[in-house]
Amino acid sequence: MTGLILYVRSRQVPAALGAAVAGTALAWLPATAFSVKGEVSSTVLALTVLLLVAVATTTLGGPDDTLDRTAARPWGWLRISHLATALGCVLMLLLATLLTGTRFGPFGCAVRDAAGLLGLTALGTATVGTARSWFLPLGWTLGAAAFPGMGTAGEALTWQTQAFDSRPAAVVAAVLTATGTAAYVSRGPRTTAGDLVTEPVRCR
Amino acid sequence: MNRIIGIELRRSAALGAALLIAVAGTIVLQATAGRWSMGWMALAMTQREYLAVLSPLAMAAGAWQSYREHRANVAELLAAVPRPRPQRMVPILATTALAVLVAYLVTLLAAAPRIADTARYLPPAAFVVVAVGLVAMIASVWLGLAVGRLVPALATAPALAVIGFALLILAPHALPDGGLTAAFSPAMGMSMFSDYDTVDGQVSAAQALWMAAVAVAGVVLFAVPNRKFAFAALLPLAIGATATVLVVPTGDAYDQGTLDPVAQELVCTDGTPRVCVSRAHEELLPEVTPKARHALELLTKTSIVEAHEDTSTVSPPTSPRSRADTALMTITLDQHGHLAHPRRLEPTMLTGVFTGPLSCGDNRNFTVATAAAYWLLDREPAAGPDGLEFDDPDAVKLWKGLQALPRAEAEARVVAVYQAARKCQDTTHLLSRGAR
Amino acid sequence: MRAVRAAETAPTLHPWLVHAKELRVRAGRHLAVDGLDLTLTAGVHGVLGPNGAGKTTLMRALSTVVKPVGGSLTLLGAQVDGRADLREVRRELGYLPQQFGFYPRFTVREFVAYMAWLKEMPKTAIPDAVQRAIDRVGLTPKADAKMKTLSGGMQRRAGIAQAIVNDPELLLLDEPTVGLDPEQRLDFRDLLRDLGADSCVLVSTHLVEDVVAACTDVILMNEGRLLFQGTPDDLIARGGQGDAGDSPAERGYSALLRQHRSNA
Repeated sequence: MTGLILYVRSRQVPAALGAAVAGTALAWLPATAFSVKGEVSSTVLALTVLLLVAVATTTLGGPDDTLDRTAARPWGWLRISHLATALGCVLMLLLATLLTGTRFGPFGCAVRDAAGLLGLTALGTATVGTARSWFLPLGWTLGAAAFPGMGTAGEALTWQTQAFDSRPAAVVAAVLTATGTAAYVSRGPRTTAGDLVTEPVRCR
Repeated sequence: MNRIIGIELRRSAALGAALLIAVAGTIVLQATAGRWSMGWMALAMTQREYLAVLSPLAMAAGAWQSYREHRANVAELLAAVPRPRPQRMVPILATTALAVLVAYLVTLLAAAPRIADTARYLPPAAFVVVAVGLVAMIASVWLGLAVGRLVPALATAPALAVIGFALLILAPHALPDGGLTAAFSPAMGMSMFSDYDTVDGQVSAAQALWMAAVAVAGVVLFAVPNRKFAFAALLPLAIGATATVLVVPTGDAYDQGTLDPVAQELVCTDGTPRVCVSRAHEELLPEVTPKARHALELLTKTSIVEAHEDTSTVSPPTSPRSRADTALMTITLDQHGHLAHPRRLEPTMLTGVFTGPLSCGDNRNFTVATAAAYWLLDREPAAGPDGLEFDDPDAVKLWKGLQALPRAEAEARVVAVYQAARKCQDTTHLLSRGAR
Repeated sequence: MRAVRAAETAPTLHPWLVHAKELRVRAGRHLAVDGLDLTLTAGVHGVLGPNGAGKTTLMRALSTVVKPVGGSLTLLGAQVDGRADLREVRRELGYLPQQFGFYPRFTVREFVAYMAWLKEMPKTAIPDAVQRAIDRVGLTPKADAKMKTLSGGMQRRAGIAQAIVNDPELLLLDEPTVGLDPEQRLDFRDLLRDLGADSCVLVSTHLVEDVVAACTDVILMNEGRLLFQGTPDDLIARGGQGDAGDSPAERGYSALLRQHRSNA
């Protein structure tokens, strides 16, 4: 157990959890103040999910992924558990709002958006590194939030903000979840030379 | 200084960010070409609407730049340098500002070719609108730089972008007035309800003031030595907000300002019969004139000798004065800047003639007017891109009735419909009179 | 239950611990290790060479961080190629990179324990092994200090501790003495001799004196190739009066480099 606790700390998970809770609150408060009906709009939901997933992404890479990689531990299992737990935490936070007057739902949309965005950032982490993995999810979700998509292609492109019964949206989310998970579990976070966190050398 | 900026450009993320923002902007603009193909003003205003996406991306770019500086740990190295911090800040501020400026302009220039040969009307307001957009982009990236420096975490950039989007699009709706909403968000107040919309100079001034205040706040925040002094940035924001509220027109004044009367002015052909279109649609005159003149020829039995564009607007409500010798045409553009549904121009114009002026109110009978118009054109009133918007079986019945009659009799009835419509009389049975 | 054959239960004896033949490894786009033949047995092997010789890339290949693009590499009896499961090898591996990252709020103990857990050491054995490793590198008074409060040299020693915590059969140390003061360097030499008694230690360094004092075997690399492998005495023997250097070993080093460059 201690090893897992050290792993969790080395990924700064406690700080991420705190930020996620704060982020949900930050989204919930104005939504309560300004929305008339009980459920928030699909735009607000998509952006909140994006915020939570961005926070979760920061835990996908450690302080030294190269050193991590030389270890014997089977990373596949660890990574997939990590992703599943991250998804679970995001969904739990959104589920909590369902108990209040301002619901971040429908829950089906929340699941689809969270899984799809998490898959996309995991794919980004495996291909361009943790630090840059939020580029595409941010740009894509902002675009989807700003424009309505109609027709099969339109719904597929703006999948984050579609209604929960939209099939193209569900398909896109499923594909992103699958490819992102596969890429991250098999390859792990991409390490680039400039990504190491080192403390400045002190002369003592 | 230029060398420093050159070095700073190459080492920073500014170039990559500029490229990504330009790509994103180009994608959203090109994907929605139908919204801005009417003219230069439409392009400028639509791009400003898309600040909803571009501004948060600029904020994220600024925060990302600060995060990279933090990762590279140059802070300790630079702390020992003799050059004071304000001076060291200038190259970073300059390069990031330059990057987003270029991105915004490149996005504009990439869209320009599509309407370069069809759009003609270029009011000074278009330049002002673009300029305010540039100020907004600079304010966004400087704010991002500042926040990224104070909160150097990986999630800062995407979080800031999401918050920025909310502030830009969702929050302003909480403000009570349309003018205030536009003033505090550079992406608002840009909806085009008609092709003659514009942005009032005072509104632009107010938006520029607020964006400048945000930019100054960003610089202040970037310059403070640590988080304790962050509240100093509130001062420029407070001053800016006050000035903005004082400058922006609200209520009716704001609504009036959204229309450009110069764009509504008519531009006419030289010869007779005169065909006029609005200045905003000036480039369509060659395309419209032959069709309008053909329709006018069909109307020789009436007193109509000119065809004008119908420059009515809903918000604020305006409509052209109705004249006995003028028929009104509805002109809309498609996404290539040409007349949309060109074969609908004449039927609609003629139907309008037989419907009568707007002031007649409920007495206007569209079915009769449609039948009469299509009889004149010798076309069946069918639904489709070239004809009616909806099927109208009653009109088809009346039309068939007219077709069955001898030409002189049909013509007499059609003229009767025209006379009655002009005087706001009921035209309901005028075409089917003899069919009992 | 099937009968277990004798060969499966007999302990595996490795005649050598590292065997590389025509090894080629890329660093970025550059082929940093180009046709290297190397055989290492137990003992302390020092790797010398100018900057850009490929020492760090060699270390990274031997620690299974990067995959070789050509040639063959066998570590601890296992072939390192694309499909091999390297878990067995990694359990017996210790690696200290030239620069490494760590969670700044970890204490030294937590950092070493985390790496021990990652190396799949049995849970019950970890606390003692961690304490032992910390003692061996001389960080006992600082065992519960946070990593970010340590000086550069102490952080380096913590890195050495994590490399040796699992008593690895193959230990790879890249510039381990950076930031250590002279007294600590002498202590480190003793540690090296200790470790080299029953495992294969590969130390990459610029300090020729460290290599001569502590290593049983010296390897000289340049431009991705092996120039020389022999005892420190052999290295000294190569040097002459006219060569640059403050010590006999440095003179031998310069002589070999000069020869290689004039042959090229």
